[in-house]
Amino acid sequence: MSDMAQARPLADAVKPGAPRQPWTISAKLVDTAVQVAVILALAAAWEFGARYGAINPFLLPPLSVVLERLWSDLISGVVPVDLGLTLYRALTGFLIGAALGITIGILMARSALVRWFFDPLISIGFPMPKIAFLPIFILWFDIYDTSKIIMVAFSCFYPIVSATYAGTSGLDKWPIWSARSFGARERDLLWEVYLPMAMPQILTGLQVALPVGMITTIVTEMLMGGRGIGGTMITAGRFADSVGVFAGILEIIILGFVVVKGLEMIRRRLLVWHPESQR
Amino acid sequence: MMMAAKAHHIAQAASSISIHDVSHSYGGRGGGQVMLALDRINLDVGDCEFHCLLGPSGCGKSTLLYLIGGFIPVQAGVIATAKGPVSGPGPDRSIVFQNFALFPWKTVKDNVLYGLKKAGFDAGEREKRAQDYIDLVHLTGFENAYPSQLSGGMQQRAAIARTLAVDPGILLMDEPFGALDAQTRRVMQEELRAIWRRSRKTVVFVTHDVHEAVFLADRISIMSARPGRIEHVIDVDLPKDRGEEILEDPRFIQFSERIWRLVREQAVAATRGAH
Repeated sequence: MSDMAQARPLADAVKPGAPRQPWTISAKLVDTAVQVAVILALAAAWEFGARYGAINPFLLPPLSVVLERLWSDLISGVVPVDLGLTLYRALTGFLIGAALGITIGILMARSALVRWFFDPLISIGFPMPKIAFLPIFILWFDIYDTSKIIMVAFSCFYPIVSATYAGTSGLDKWPIWSARSFGARERDLLWEVYLPMAMPQILTGLQVALPVGMITTIVTEMLMGGRGIGGTMITAGRFADSVGVFAGILEIIILGFVVVKGLEMIRRRLLVWHPESQR
Repeated sequence: MMMAAKAHHIAQAASSISIHDVSHSYGGRGGGQVMLALDRINLDVGDCEFHCLLGPSGCGKSTLLYLIGGFIPVQAGVIATAKGPVSGPGPDRSIVFQNFALFPWKTVKDNVLYGLKKAGFDAGEREKRAQDYIDLVHLTGFENAYPSQLSGGMQQRAAIARTLAVDPGILLMDEPFGALDAQTRRVMQEELRAIWRRSRKTVVFVTHDVHEAVFLADRISIMSARPGRIEHVIDVDLPKDRGEEILEDPRFIQFSERIWRLVREQAVAATRGAH
């Protein structure tokens, strides 16, 4: 909140569409170009290293072969089904974890009773490897989607509930007092003040939880088998199909990148008002 | 109860405030030391009066303002307006805080619209009033800017527009220009005085700046530090229309000197007390 007191250069506010200084654009362009170049160089090293025998092609098949497999699996429908299943499990679990985490986090900040109940549970649960619960979840919820989704929700819950609790407790009182002086009632304050104020921290919690959810999805799929990227990779590994394993790795990389970037975009959209978006 | 009834009776005029025997202390919970912040405050602020609470830091002037605003509960005594004893915040007593307290996630216009919506204006009227008050504080063109994109002075003007737009009978101001640079502060003081002359509201304005108090107020309450008491209530005997030129008027200078001496006594006493 201390940002508010600082006067920002007015040029930012007056002409949002005004041309920026030329060096900022080129610096960003150089950044992106370097990043792309590094990835391309690594891809090239992979391809040629494997192709010209520097590396055993069974241990590391050339990138082109992996891409070919990815393409044929895409045509045959294996990849879309796997991607769809993995994405469905990851996002459903993530959303359940988010709904519970945000709700309980807010309640903890508002009510001492809820805080007393959940605080010890979260202190113990947060640092614990959540995957330890998998065997019991399999017993309780069998080996199909339910147990995987619950496992994902369970692992996403902790970072989200802690971030929401931190974000909604100890809020700056001034906007709350303003809202009350305009006649806002206690139940309006949640949607009109508490949530928007805590939004940066809640989103940070979500951004921490999302990759955790992706990891948990892949691991549960690997451990339980069946379809989904993780399951297909484990099957490929069992049949010594290293090309199949690498195809799975590429799928995960692309999926993870898209999902994480998507959440970043949502953050920018929701926090246009925040100084972080005006840099 | 009898006191409440009496205070209510006193506060008859549309937007007057009556403060009767109000004391307030902080701490004391969990065996901590109790600090008396306000000691038996009695004060009547008349309808359409511009009243300044002036005193050294820690004299409880902000506490008194928050009590009038209903943000902290009255512990002892009664504060009443025409609507009866104050028991919580309400749109009849709007406040401008030192740190603006705008909603940072809303644009200037949405900040102003928020109060209007709460006050129950219909959609067309809301738009019109919001624009009128944004124009009034010279923020035309910045309707869609977020607070973080504005300078401190502009944020404070947005906060004032938001508060004035709902047309409160009583306007509470807690060192609203404290965070501004000297030039902006001077301009804002002139604008506030001009706006007040036009809109005729009851204003309670907290400040520790003698010149600000003398320039703005009809009456000044000089408070002592810890425990906060009202030591003097002084009528500002200056013309109602005050522009920049009054700052050089010998009457203004003499009067400021007099107030300064009274405030200084309190400040010195406070420093001695602290040692």
